[in-house]
Amino acid sequence: MIESQRHSYHLVDPSPWPISGSLGALATTVGGVMYMHSFQGGATLLSLGLLFILYTMFVWWRDVLRESTLEGHHTKVVQLGLRYGFILFIVSEVMFFFAFFWAFFHSSLAPTVEIGGIWPPKGIGVLDPWEIPFLNTLILLSSGAAVTWAHHAILAGKEKRAVYALAATVLLALVFTGFQGMEYYQAPFTISDSIYGSTFFLATGFHGFHVIIGTLFLIICGIRQYLGHLTKEHHVGFEAAAWYWHFVDVVWLFLFVSIYWWGGI
Amino acid sequence: MAISMMRSALLRNSLRSASKPSAPTRRGFSSSAHHDDAYEAAKWEKIAYLGAATCTILAIYNLSKGHPHYETPPEYPYLHIRNKEFPWGPNGLFEVKEDHH
Repeated sequence: MIESQRHSYHLVDPSPWPISGSLGALATTVGGVMYMHSFQGGATLLSLGLLFILYTMFVWWRDVLRESTLEGHHTKVVQLGLRYGFILFIVSEVMFFFAFFWAFFHSSLAPTVEIGGIWPPKGIGVLDPWEIPFLNTLILLSSGAAVTWAHHAILAGKEKRAVYALAATVLLALVFTGFQGMEYYQAPFTISDSIYGSTFFLATGFHGFHVIIGTLFLIICGIRQYLGHLTKEHHVGFEAAAWYWHFVDVVWLFLFVSIYWWGGI
Repeated sequence: MAISMMRSALLRNSLRSASKPSAPTRRGFSSSAHHDDAYEAAKWEKIAYLGAATCTILAIYNLSKGHPHYETPPEYPYLHIRNKEFPWGPNGLFEVKEDHH
């Protein structure tokens, strides 16, 4: 196969995963709407759709790993394309969070008379930014340092140290999520408590969701590093995970400064 | 005038250094040598440990303080908004914290 190929591009084989993912998304959307409107079978369709999406993600990425690690399709040119693709994905994620910050600043810079004309709205007890949120800032920054450690360990060919570094990164990520869960549980307001609760939980909740995705991404990289999939010269999956992790870190810094700190005074 | 003088000085310097290929190169690019990555890895390992240690101390301090108690606010119309029932009941999924108030 490889011998007969006279170019360095990866012409992918026909795959069932795009259509299975699309059907999963359709079932999730329709099922979600049905469930929220208490239609019969809504919960079943929603669960089925989510299961379908999770299955598709697993087998699709399994195929990508086979194509890169075992079949050698990810040449330098393909790696470049993957990097461009991932950068564009992160740019789209930046826009996603930009919208939530817009909602937050729209509501907080000129608080309406309905919430007492002040921010935080009257009756909202806010979280102290210098307690758990500041600790979480340090935790994420430390995990950013750990992922840089992992990167240099990979580049230096220190395979075992790279696994340790990734384990440290993941551990810090899990501690962050744990503290965030604790903070949510102890928060004196909920998502249904005024526009403050809505914007707060929308922004920090989606950030937390992204932290969980990034953690899974890093766990996969750790397993692949342990299995010897990643080399000094070729570790695009790890690079993407590290970029994603730094992105999540930067979003948190903005959340901390604007929502927790500035928005909590 | 000064800029053009500086520019020509820079040019002269670069030409001079280029004309001496035998001179030992002392510039180290971070990704060029194996040794540098080992050094960087060790450096970032230390930074990560330092960060983790700081986080541990701060976590112990924060957790030992206990969480503050908030007063129950008056029933403003914009708090605890309920427009219709959820499929699973009257409260949001993660909202059961009545015992905290």
